[in-house]
Amino acid sequence: MTIVEPPVTTQTRYTGTPVRRTEDPRLLAGRGEYVDDVTVPKMIEAAVLRSPEAHARILSIDTSAARALPGVFDVITGADLAAVAGQQPVIWFPIPDQRIAKTHALATDRVRWVGQAVAAVVAVDRYVAEDALELIDVEYEPLPVVADLDAALAPDAPKLYDDWPDNVSGSLTYTFGEPDEAFAAADVVVKESFNHGRAFGCPLEPRGAIVDWDAFSDTIDVWLSTQAPNLARDLLSEVLGVPVHKIRVRTPNLGGGFGNKFDFYGEEVIAAVLSRRTGRPVKLIEDRRDSFFATSHSRDQRLDFEMALTNDGTIVGLRGISYGVLGGALGTVGSGPPWASVLTCMGPYKIPNLDVTVKAVMTNRSPYGSYRGWGVPKGNIVHERLIEIAARELGMDRAEIRRKNFPAPEEFPHFSGVAFTYDSGRYADCLDLAMSKIEELGWRERQAQARAEGRSVGIGYSFHVEPSAYGPSRILNLVGLAHSGFDEVTLRMDSIGKVTVYSGQINMGQGTHTIYAQLAADSLGVPMDDIVVVTGDTDSCPYTGYGTGGSRAAPLGGAAIIRAGERLRAKLLRIGAQLLEASPDDMEIVDGVLSVRGAPGRSVTTREIGDAAYRRLLDRLPEGEMPTLEEVDVFDPPNMATSYGCTALLAEVDRETGMVSLIDCLQAHDCGTVINPMLVDGQLAGGLAQALGGALLEELIYDDEGQLRTASFMDYLLPTAMEIPPFHFYHQETPAPDIPGGIKGVGEAGTIAGVSLVGSAIDDALSDLGVTVTRFPVTPPRLLDLIRAAQISASQAKEGSA
Amino acid sequence: MKPPPVKYARAGDVAEAVALLTEHGSDAKVLAGGQSLIPLMNFRLARPSVLIDINRAAGLDGIRVENGSLVIGAMARQRDVETSDVAAGAVPLLPQVLRHVGHVTNRNRGTVGGSLAHADPAAELPALVTGLGGELLVQGPGGSRLVAAEDYFLGTFTTAMEFDEVLTGVRLPRLPAGTGVAVEELARRHGDFAIVATMAAIHLAADGTVDLVRLAASGVASVPVRLHGAEAVLAGIAPTAEAIDAAAETVAGSIKPTGDVHAPADYRRDMAGLLVRRALRTAIQRTEVAA
Repeated sequence: MTIVEPPVTTQTRYTGTPVRRTEDPRLLAGRGEYVDDVTVPKMIEAAVLRSPEAHARILSIDTSAARALPGVFDVITGADLAAVAGQQPVIWFPIPDQRIAKTHALATDRVRWVGQAVAAVVAVDRYVAEDALELIDVEYEPLPVVADLDAALAPDAPKLYDDWPDNVSGSLTYTFGEPDEAFAAADVVVKESFNHGRAFGCPLEPRGAIVDWDAFSDTIDVWLSTQAPNLARDLLSEVLGVPVHKIRVRTPNLGGGFGNKFDFYGEEVIAAVLSRRTGRPVKLIEDRRDSFFATSHSRDQRLDFEMALTNDGTIVGLRGISYGVLGGALGTVGSGPPWASVLTCMGPYKIPNLDVTVKAVMTNRSPYGSYRGWGVPKGNIVHERLIEIAARELGMDRAEIRRKNFPAPEEFPHFSGVAFTYDSGRYADCLDLAMSKIEELGWRERQAQARAEGRSVGIGYSFHVEPSAYGPSRILNLVGLAHSGFDEVTLRMDSIGKVTVYSGQINMGQGTHTIYAQLAADSLGVPMDDIVVVTGDTDSCPYTGYGTGGSRAAPLGGAAIIRAGERLRAKLLRIGAQLLEASPDDMEIVDGVLSVRGAPGRSVTTREIGDAAYRRLLDRLPEGEMPTLEEVDVFDPPNMATSYGCTALLAEVDRETGMVSLIDCLQAHDCGTVINPMLVDGQLAGGLAQALGGALLEELIYDDEGQLRTASFMDYLLPTAMEIPPFHFYHQETPAPDIPGGIKGVGEAGTIAGVSLVGSAIDDALSDLGVTVTRFPVTPPRLLDLIRAAQISASQAKEGSA
Repeated sequence: MKPPPVKYARAGDVAEAVALLTEHGSDAKVLAGGQSLIPLMNFRLARPSVLIDINRAAGLDGIRVENGSLVIGAMARQRDVETSDVAAGAVPLLPQVLRHVGHVTNRNRGTVGGSLAHADPAAELPALVTGLGGELLVQGPGGSRLVAAEDYFLGTFTTAMEFDEVLTGVRLPRLPAGTGVAVEELARRHGDFAIVATMAAIHLAADGTVDLVRLAASGVASVPVRLHGAEAVLAGIAPTAEAIDAAAETVAGSIKPTGDVHAPADYRRDMAGLLVRRALRTAIQRTEVAA
């Protein structure tokens, strides 16, 4: 493959072009700096002791032997931590009157999941710290374990929280229209119970923190592997009782976040407490083993849903319950993701009658938190699986039944029935685009040929919506978020005419620095090479609401750059007009050169503008013009921007083993204005790879004792290049009406679409047997069971009819 | 994931390794390619007091044919064996099997002896050696001895070697020209430990009847299993589809699989039979009858 370097320096418009990532040379050369690469003078290293029990009372903790080990600086338990730090915060409260199960960063009296932190050691290095962990003696009194959802909901279930009536943290029902009447009058009702196993984002750089608590100034310097440095600073202030302005959070390169690093973790607090007690900077890196227990788990849900339709395939109602199988305490985002499944379970379809419930249930598992997709992949399972089951029942084409239920482009903005109003879309066009590409790629011939050879090849579909650009701050507050959703950007041109963009967003692999430079270059009319993007430091970068999550960096940060850029450009033109003795209205700026329109000989460069604004102002900076060249913009969107796409998969099932191989995959997609098609493709591919892994391979499996059985890469199976099919991406651009620049988010598209997609392809491959995939991941033994059960019932039906 | 404190000693040759093992007792461990031992130490599941490094012990990495057998030194890297013409010529099953062992980077460091000494019942090399009736060369304070594979693998991670013995190599009977071989492995991903793997080597006489058949499976018991029952069904008869089915049907009775997070025992049992059938079909297709 030949990669042609785009001619960056001579380009006058960057938006929409596949500019190569400015981030890459450093990372590819192995010269990135991740938090574990950071060394602070006098730094010591910590490690965390984790509970081997899923549910137990802590009777005693003896740390004396650990303290006596040479090289150990300090050992703390829950009591030590609770003396100086509050409980771990929760910021999402979508369910009114929800019981909020909070804990300290170290367990104080009781553990509720395997891997819960119970003590921490800080020592000269991590080796000694881990040696010391083995010397801590914890006496547990085991309690009955609530290992899964059924165990948690059983009438006589042991309780995780003694003062609760049961293990349900909260429940919320949304109704829209007249669901009961709709179901009573429907021609067809299809219903299923779907399960998605536990999984997590599994960033290849695990989490990590360095905290330096300076006793003299009472300031806290933090280096943190996070997607949300501003949020982390606010929450550290809340938990530690230190004013926000005395806390600085820096984020070096991030080796993946995937939502997992949006959440705020106990290790940040543990490192802070250890630093305060020892007077030393403390590094606490989550190693790979820790990560399986201590990084937010997600996805774990059961979804019991039914869809009502008329005989012509019109959906008239949807009702059901989304059970969030939460852990032993609430994570930062509480029951947010299972709630979001309910908000998106109608997907792209007009469904006039809804009765949908989220029920958040506590179990003795690790806490539930953010993972790319944030509940929407499970919403997608509900609408995409049910509509295909309905198509089968009604004998309808799978594309036709979808097309029939889309809102038409002129019906936007379209209220989904629960919370979201989709801003814009051409859903049928997108579906048609995907279908035409299936023909072009010859999938139908490949399928027919394979079937003629006796192989089971199927084509799967998934149409998804991705609510992005989270979100209007006041609406987020209204639905229960104790945080905002705006984004702030500072755009500064310096004294020699070069530009720095300061953003509160975090670059975790998406290419944020590249697209921000593209947008700033276009909005100012300067070369991209003149732009530097700075992120990851709360002292120098502005505040962003939320953090880098909810597919918001491109639409919200992008909009703020465009708006700030317009104002700064106007100022440049005013100064340029003064220098050239022209009217600002006659001025233009192209590629960093300001000239009088129609008289290209009369020009100045941004270098001279910088000089006039910062250094030699006399007769050059217009009277009344404020010195310096800086614009700040805060963009709080009036509505979210909803991306969407139609994904298709060609897959083969081995009926004798239950193994599934993925042959080819395509996605037709609309994320509004495409800033950089190469990076959008990268987002789509990465998300799809994660979803395909979740659909077939990845599962955090707990046994009946609440032990996590897949806590290493030998058993938690990430997809590799060997398992992932080729991808083909096609874009249509329907600009977001409420976002300057028309940009919609794209970070989560693949993860939303890809799970139901696999189910659809498998069902199609086995269409003669009538198999319906309802449980993910689809492992070979599970699929073989489905195949054999279908074969038995098929042969019984044959006998019955004979 | 830092290992507990451990002492390190380098052995210049096998005799020195044996002496060090004798000196340090059963808490000492021999370090070869480290592809299993080091992760186990990082998990603190293995905590040897001393590592005896034999990476620089001379003369342990040979790959040669000797008296009709292929002899591979314990320290031969798996990748070197995989790409060795000598190994492929004598035992064409070897490169095929090795391609399923981890990934190339693992095989660059991983050694043949390391895998055989580690004795993971899901691993491919122990099954190959067992299936082909190989012998293990073991050296201890009292000298060297040869142990037949089926006497060597005693259980999961357990072999017939004494604590003061070092595995120095393996001897595999050379397969006659025209032998068809096949490996069938069912793994969740390429390079993972097998859920079940089967291997077949089959040779046909001029009249089309089977005059040599070797069948083995991994992932189906606490030790790698040679499928004698299935071999007996095929020996001396024409390998028809019915004969293959009859051989495959004996497999379930010769194995004792256990379940884990990836597959229950019943699934493994079923798959062992299926994969024996598939391996036999492919191996038979690949046989060449001498003209």
